[in-house]
Amino acid sequence: MSDAKAVADRLVKAKRLNALLTPPKELRKSLNTQIAVARPTGVLYGMPVAVKDNICTLEFTTTCGSRILEGYRSPYEATAVAKLKAAGALIAGKTNCDEFAMGSSTEHSAYGRVIHPLDKARVPGGSSGGSAALVGAGAVPAALGSETGGSVRQPAAFCGVVGIKPTYGRVSRYGLVAFGSSLDQIGVFGRSVHDAARVLSVISGRDPRDSTCEDRDPLRLPTVPESLQGFVVGLPKEYFPPELDPAVRRACDRAIRMMKELGAAVREVSLPHTPYAVPTYYVIAPAEASSNLARYDGVRYGPRFNGAADLRSLYRSTRGQGFGPEVRRRILLGTYVLSSGYYDAYYRRAQQMRALIAQDFRNVFDRGVDLLFTPTVPSPAFKAGEKLADPIAMYMSDIFTVTANLAGLPAISLPIGRVKGLPIGGQLIGQAFLEDEMIEAAYALERVVPATDEA
Amino acid sequence: MSVSREEVLRIAQVAELDVDEETLPTLAEQMSRILDYVAQLSAVPANGTVKVFVPGPDAIRFRADEVVPSQLAFGPKEFAPDFKEGFFVVPKLGQFE
Repeated sequence: MSDAKAVADRLVKAKRLNALLTPPKELRKSLNTQIAVARPTGVLYGMPVAVKDNICTLEFTTTCGSRILEGYRSPYEATAVAKLKAAGALIAGKTNCDEFAMGSSTEHSAYGRVIHPLDKARVPGGSSGGSAALVGAGAVPAALGSETGGSVRQPAAFCGVVGIKPTYGRVSRYGLVAFGSSLDQIGVFGRSVHDAARVLSVISGRDPRDSTCEDRDPLRLPTVPESLQGFVVGLPKEYFPPELDPAVRRACDRAIRMMKELGAAVREVSLPHTPYAVPTYYVIAPAEASSNLARYDGVRYGPRFNGAADLRSLYRSTRGQGFGPEVRRRILLGTYVLSSGYYDAYYRRAQQMRALIAQDFRNVFDRGVDLLFTPTVPSPAFKAGEKLADPIAMYMSDIFTVTANLAGLPAISLPIGRVKGLPIGGQLIGQAFLEDEMIEAAYALERVVPATDEA
Repeated sequence: MSVSREEVLRIAQVAELDVDEETLPTLAEQMSRILDYVAQLSAVPANGTVKVFVPGPDAIRFRADEVVPSQLAFGPKEFAPDFKEGFFVVPKLGQFE
């Protein structure tokens, strides 16, 4: 239980991060109203949860970090948000993100970049950088984000917090603004595995409003295990390449040693199609985005950019001026790969490769491996501006995270050490709908790993 | 694979997106580099037997064919740029090819 003023004060104190898009006055007013009606019997009673700005809320605007939705108020709320409120949680404002969740640094927001909570020259990761930075700065215990290619786990790793991407179909996407529909999932951030897991458990479960959400009960939280006896953890060799940052490798080696000490059987495995994951992703995600973002046309919602004499020039000027450079680039790329003459060369190949990547995981899990352990990102948080001019360098930041999205699998990132003060994340990838096992292992590892010690 | 300025303009038309002259060269250059990069997918032999993978439920769940009105907190007048008497107002259609 917390009081509205204290919740708001903590968030306003983190203002320098530019992580929250909700103005302080509006936040205070809403928190006062919310706390008055929150259900005291709810399992998250009084827990402030910040929400990424591509998830619809009735309390605040939903802009997706874009000019094209500036000032947009949704007439309905996401199922995940409704479930949080029903559990007594407080919606603690909307968080800054890369425009339409396209980016890995939260530098592609129309509302300015988000600052890393530990080093103002660096990025918090992305696209859910605002949510990660607020949890990392201790302004909220938990936050919602969304994942299409690693947008929860990568910023969680950079900001030294826990990030969970659930199985595709575990959490309803009703009210999540669509980017890549075969990849998108709502994910959670927490200060600890437990904070993230209990928020995930509340938002998970069936929803008649989302036909891609599986007809399953909400996730049941496992207990903290005494050991990892009986767990078989696979180390995919493609995720530990020679060029991996040495500090990231040291932190991973330490975590692996600790899992062994806890009784886990650790063995090297291979996911041979891993090198093709990023190119596959950068065909499929823009293709789906070009279709999903066709709806922003200056007619039904958002501002209209004027000077248009007829309807088509209204579409073109609104979309041309309303979308930022990264979104424009991806819409064009997606339109290109889907266009006649190129469809087979790009989109069909990417779809086939996606099937092979998913099969790699099935092969490993079929051979008795319960979980995979990998670094979350190849390096710690990079400097702002460092990768802006080179889209491919930026995309490579997702190299270890996109595979779980392509295969629809659950994955968690947790802090496993630091290098020169910057957090390093370790990732556990689980089997579809076995988040409970994955969380159990994460609980055990979290208890022993020196998350804030230099690796 | 290199994308010309003309191709970018053609794709931009299909995507109903204005692209200004200044950003055109950078855009063409970046799109070319990205397409070159993803072209490594073609190194893998096309395999017609690979079943496309789609995550999510194995079977489509059907629900009763009933109209359930969406419970909206407020109507389009509140969020549309121009809405009058039940209609979204747009400029004239202009000349369609």
